[in-house]
Amino acid sequence: MLKPSIPSFWAVLPFLILFLFLLPVLIVLFSLFSGYSENWAHLYNYVLVDYISNTLYLIIGVSLTSLLIGTISAWIVTNYDFFGKRFLEWALILPLATPPYILAYTFTGFFDAYGTANNIIREIFSLDQSFILFPNIRNIYGAIVVFSFTLYPYIYLVSRAAFLNQSRSILEAGRMLGLNQYEIFYKLSLPIIRPAVIGGLMLVIMETISDFGAVDHFAIQTFTTGVFRTWHGMYDLTTAMQLASILLIFVATFVWIEKTSRKKALYTSGSSTFKPAKKIKLIKMKAVIAFFICFIPILIGFILPITELTKWAINYNLTFFDEKFLQAAMNTILLAVAAGILCASIALIINFSIRFNKNRFSNFLSSFLSLGYAVPGLILAVGIVQLFALIDKNIFINTDIILTGSLIGLIFAYVIKSYALANSTFESGFQRISFHLDDSARTLNSSGWNLLSRVHFPLLKTSFLTSILLVTSEVVKELPATLILRPFNFDTLAVSTYIYAAEERMFQAAAPAIAIMLVGLIPIILLTKMISSSRPMDK
Amino acid sequence: MSKLQKLMTILYIVIFSLSSAFAEEVNVYTSRHYDSDDALYSEFTKETGIKVNIISGNGSALIERLKVEGKNSPADIYFTVDAGNLWKVQKDGYFKSINSESIKSVVPKNLRGPNDEWVAIAKRARVIYYNPNTVTANEVNNLSYEDLARPEWKERIAIRSSSNMYNQSLVASLISNHGIQTTESWAKDFVKNFARNPQGSDRAQIVAVANGEADIAIANSYYIGIMLSGGSGDDQLQAAKKVKMHFPNQGNRGVHINISGAGVLKNSPNSENAIKFIEFLLSKKVQQYMVNISFEYPVIDGIDPHPSIANFGTDFKEDRTSVADYGKYNPDAIRLMDRAGWK
Repeated sequence: MLKPSIPSFWAVLPFLILFLFLLPVLIVLFSLFSGYSENWAHLYNYVLVDYISNTLYLIIGVSLTSLLIGTISAWIVTNYDFFGKRFLEWALILPLATPPYILAYTFTGFFDAYGTANNIIREIFSLDQSFILFPNIRNIYGAIVVFSFTLYPYIYLVSRAAFLNQSRSILEAGRMLGLNQYEIFYKLSLPIIRPAVIGGLMLVIMETISDFGAVDHFAIQTFTTGVFRTWHGMYDLTTAMQLASILLIFVATFVWIEKTSRKKALYTSGSSTFKPAKKIKLIKMKAVIAFFICFIPILIGFILPITELTKWAINYNLTFFDEKFLQAAMNTILLAVAAGILCASIALIINFSIRFNKNRFSNFLSSFLSLGYAVPGLILAVGIVQLFALIDKNIFINTDIILTGSLIGLIFAYVIKSYALANSTFESGFQRISFHLDDSARTLNSSGWNLLSRVHFPLLKTSFLTSILLVTSEVVKELPATLILRPFNFDTLAVSTYIYAAEERMFQAAAPAIAIMLVGLIPIILLTKMISSSRPMDK
Repeated sequence: MSKLQKLMTILYIVIFSLSSAFAEEVNVYTSRHYDSDDALYSEFTKETGIKVNIISGNGSALIERLKVEGKNSPADIYFTVDAGNLWKVQKDGYFKSINSESIKSVVPKNLRGPNDEWVAIAKRARVIYYNPNTVTANEVNNLSYEDLARPEWKERIAIRSSSNMYNQSLVASLISNHGIQTTESWAKDFVKNFARNPQGSDRAQIVAVANGEADIAIANSYYIGIMLSGGSGDDQLQAAKKVKMHFPNQGNRGVHINISGAGVLKNSPNSENAIKFIEFLLSKKVQQYMVNISFEYPVIDGIDPHPSIANFGTDFKEDRTSVADYGKYNPDAIRLMDRAGWK
């Protein structure tokens, strides 16, 4: 039986959810309609050109580097078999646990004039203290490396999923046409995975743009450092929000161009049955090269920072790991998982409803909500606090404050900040489900909830788990920005790290920073296991 | 009252009764919270029976939360690093005067708000570090911030970016003393003397001096204490041993001082407890404990800083420019540094 009320429910629900979650982003954007202070003339005359050009350089550099690392490593582990491949396949995700600013700090610590790297070289060649081999890395190139090696997993994850789902027949057809391995890679495989990769790339770009810690440490004047200078130093929150809004509009245009260009081609795969491609076995030199290409990103993005942090933590002290730490770790995990599940569910429902209703407007709203990811965390937090104050004032009139400083508020904030991660996973997940399947389901009278739970969800299990994975690890890292939203005495791991890092007492921050990375690892390892077992063709 | 509002009121009462198990409490919004502070807070609770509740986070963001919470804010105390943050809260009228003779008697006037809206809890000096191998005793003798714009320092100075609040406060103090025009022409010459593009933390400037990338650096006083304690690794300890500290402007107004400080909020629900808490932070015992951990200078008399800091001297002349001016001139300082090309 096809009930007429169900489709309207699927049409209305996303509007309600999206509208609620969009409000804080809108509050930020509304700053564009308030007055423009004289600080604008100053920005325009002296620094805006630097902000724009540095931000652009950074985006271009990080995009190219992380694309290279992400797609090539994914291609190697999905198409070749060699020593260590099983380990590399999941270890390549590990840098997700490294917040970019932590890599920035450890990187400078490592390559400093008196850092580990130079000390090792001096030790080996018994040179004196004045010898310094490694160049200064506190510049835009250093920043590009830092962002690329912490963010490439977003591209790796989607490329790997897309490569795995490529039917063997396509690759075999390529081979029959006489293409060699490299030609198959860039003539056949790359174009097919393009939409998925661009989805991942958008995430990389948005996170690069919204980051403050790393660029501030390298003293690169970007849009986001400008936002904070204007707010913290010139005490001009409105201009700061206007700057952030301009950045948002820029990102939105980019997303829009990408979407319209993608519309011309339809990218659903021909069938839902996969014939996994046969892996080519590599031996000797080739195996060694493949291993190192995949190992270097893990070395730089994960092993190096955690080793350096461990060294610092042991130097300083390890008393941090007491029962208070356990409480904070528990709080962190609970919050992160709650936000992860909520985010994944919302993205699932919204993307399903968009597909079901072919509703342009909710599609637009959904991409709009993804922009939350590009808003610098502290600015978003201010938008949320302002929204809550509004709700508290108008609904809870004669009482005090309820939403502001509650756990609900905190989770709400995480969902807004990381919706893009879940959304992009589901977008590419739904794209892989053929529309013929929907049509067949409909002839069997399956629609609405039934279609979602019995037909789509089983096919989207991987997307669901991947969404939770991405959001969870993001929340563990992103905690600092939303700290001001929390209730009294609600300790999470990022509290100590953030406070110490803000004062550059990085050695004191080392133990809690390790804790963040380790706690971030738990969901990564668990979910990777679940993801690989939920993928039938891997067995 | 609408049904929704009734429901929400009931919900509120339930939440409230759950959360206020402690009758006596003090609520602190802080951007300065070290792990070691927890020991302090439980000591305070032991002495007074007052529970300390904490929310820590970025100073400016906490101010926004204070503002939107308005008269319903549970916050009693705002505790932060850098005088500029305190000034922001004071300017918008969110603090009230602290009426405590015992506080006024121990904290000098220039380290309190104009109407005692806030008080300093700890001090740090922004000093000059130099490499004795490349800088002669004659050159540093009586050296002032103003002197660093002279041509003989060309490409010899390391200092971090103008985004840093300590640099903003330093330039604001120069504006307070010399006016914008003089300070701007000073800044333009000063920037020409940079040994490298501004980058990294305060400690990175000290390391740059130790390894010969620059001859002198400007950085906060407590960093050398952290480095010398060995807590930041052997490499930094070795670097710290190679540099010497100089207190600038001893011939005139004294070395630039910045503070960590706290104020009581206007709508504070527990303002008596709040004052008790600040008095506690300014007690001899707590001051000694704090400076030993943070390597800062104490605010009250009769306490010595940590020995590794005290070794560099304790009877230096401090700039008495009101720290409230740092906040007042901070926006001017940033614009000025932008115009001077200080990245």
